[in-house]
Amino acid sequence: MAITETRPEPATVETHVNPWGQGDEYPSFVQSLGSSDHKTIGRLFCGFSLAFGVAAWVLVGLASLHDIEDVDIIGSDHIFQVFTISRLALVFLFAVPFFLGLAIYLVPLQIGASTIAFPRAAAAAFWTWLLGAVLLIISYAANGGIGGIRSNPIDLTYLALGVTVMALLLAAVCVATTVVTLRAPGLRLDHVPMFSWAMLVATSLWLLSLPVLLANLLLIFVDHRLGRPSDFGVGLNQWPQVVWAFQQPQVFVYAIPVLGVVGDVVATMFGVRQKNRGVMLAALAAFGILSFGAWAQGFFNEEVATQWLYIGMGFAILLPMFALLGGWGTAMREGKPRINAATAGALLAMVPLLLAGLTSALYVIEPLDLQTRPYAQYGVLVLVAGSVTVAGSAALAYWAPKIWGRTPNNGLGFLAVLAGFGGSVLAGGALVVNGFQTDSSDFLNGAAAAGLVFLAGGVLLSVVSLLARGPAESDDPWAGQTLEWATSSPPPPGNFGELAPVMSAEPLLDWRDPQPEDVA
Amino acid sequence: MAATHALPPAPPVQRPRVLMVGTAFASAATVMMFAGLLAVYLSRRAELIGAGDAWLPDDVSLPLQQPNVMLFTMLSSAITVQWAVYAVARNDRVNTYLALGLTFVFGIAFINMQSYLYTLMEFDITANQQAVLVYVISGAHIIMLVAAMIFVALMAFRALAGQESRRQHDGVSAAALFWHAMVVVYAVIWLAVYVTK
Repeated sequence: MAITETRPEPATVETHVNPWGQGDEYPSFVQSLGSSDHKTIGRLFCGFSLAFGVAAWVLVGLASLHDIEDVDIIGSDHIFQVFTISRLALVFLFAVPFFLGLAIYLVPLQIGASTIAFPRAAAAAFWTWLLGAVLLIISYAANGGIGGIRSNPIDLTYLALGVTVMALLLAAVCVATTVVTLRAPGLRLDHVPMFSWAMLVATSLWLLSLPVLLANLLLIFVDHRLGRPSDFGVGLNQWPQVVWAFQQPQVFVYAIPVLGVVGDVVATMFGVRQKNRGVMLAALAAFGILSFGAWAQGFFNEEVATQWLYIGMGFAILLPMFALLGGWGTAMREGKPRINAATAGALLAMVPLLLAGLTSALYVIEPLDLQTRPYAQYGVLVLVAGSVTVAGSAALAYWAPKIWGRTPNNGLGFLAVLAGFGGSVLAGGALVVNGFQTDSSDFLNGAAAAGLVFLAGGVLLSVVSLLARGPAESDDPWAGQTLEWATSSPPPPGNFGELAPVMSAEPLLDWRDPQPEDVA
Repeated sequence: MAATHALPPAPPVQRPRVLMVGTAFASAATVMMFAGLLAVYLSRRAELIGAGDAWLPDDVSLPLQQPNVMLFTMLSSAITVQWAVYAVARNDRVNTYLALGLTFVFGIAFINMQSYLYTLMEFDITANQQAVLVYVISGAHIIMLVAAMIFVALMAFRALAGQESRRQHDGVSAAALFWHAMVVVYAVIWLAVYVTK
């Protein structure tokens, strides 16, 4: 037996030294970099898309200013680039990612899940989207982009746009799969909250229509890269090939989540169970189906605007909106309103959307001659994106206690809603009226530019209202009806403890005031 | 001796088929991308033929023999990938590996034949819109097929690690679903690009 002279030293345990010298092991921004927690990813998506939203509205405003005679801030050489990036940013850097971020945060909570489906894919989607967005901006800054001059940056634009759209599609797969597969026991698909249902419809439609845009981008990129052997990559043909994604009927596809926000806010803030829920869900799905516009590509089919399907969809898009408004009207009549920024935003968000629907119906009436001028379609896009902005403000006011555990400043929230609403009606209305003019009016263009400034201010005020927030009154400040309010605000890791059985679309109302049949 | 009774088999585990549903959404998106590409191809071809011209230039030929072999290969791979699902659902690991391996080999064979077809076509990609469309459609299909092959290979490794079994074989089923989508897409490409030219 070997004899040792000294007692062996106990093995030293290598301890991890906190390099930041703070309470948490890593600062929150470092934790965010590698996080696959749906709440972190959702917050990141929302935050960055709101920042891009302000920039997008400013760019749309600058492009609109150029239409006023003798006003030339940007210069004729670059105006088309500003025009195209403003549209791209409005949709792919603001509207779609904002709602996806909100859904990544909220949908798992609304359906009683502990996480989102494919959390790492959702994280990858966010970072890829951010990379694509940055590359898109760089490509435009390098005098590329749609309408640009330099060849390599133009190629980079299409690459960046493709990456951005693919990232959004990946996030859409995560959200849609969550709604379909991860619902709490007893929560039937027709009992999911309106926002979750709207996101299922929206993501399904995005997954069916945006890949067609990817196909367009691929053809343009390859053709342009190869020296334009065909007409796909020719400068003047590039925007006409992708413009269908910003015109009716496709433009309405970005507003589907607006209907979900309105549905959840109205039912909760008026304190009633939504009646005729099946009809409401069907109407929302019908709105989604009627906004599928990947087939309506005027570049490849010049007569598409005169075809019966296009005309029919132009009128029919109004019907589900009226059905939904009727349902919410019934709820409002029966309930007692709680007036705040969320309620005001939810109700006012429907006005620009309804105006966009009416314009789409007018647009397909050939004798009105709106199709020969671009302003009506600009107006529809601005009205739809304006509706997204107002609904976004409402959603932030409503769900901020859940997301940040703080209540946003109600006064600033009101201002954000009013600025967004006023801006969208002013800008959208002016553009649509301009569509009826033979020559565009400087007054109307000026009004549109002013409205667009209001819209940028609306997004900015929403952000400021979140920064000027106060402590949340409770975990459930609105007496919510749906599962996201059944946990603390913000929710702990894993979201929920044990949930009681879910038996209806308003489980929290069931648990608070059990119906006789539930008790039995 | 007391009579013994065999217990009934345990009921299948009730679990959300997350990967299957996610793959179904991804497959639908992929199919729509090809629908977009093929729609452009068909509309451009109809436009040209309607104007009284031929779609393919005189010095270009798109042979049918190789596309036929490729279609046969894809249809065979659809059988082998479904064989893998059948085998893994019965805990038959040998047949699962064999079927997934064969599916992967069919994928390589398809890409090999597509490459050979490119050399036969003598179709310069920078020549005209027909060339751009043919190469973009077939090239995009190859890229998606490679993605499907990676998916199949990953599931084969998971099966080797024992993570795919009778009680849990969503991975293999999901890979098969995406593979079937690629087979369907190729069948449409075969008809639209190589048969009705």
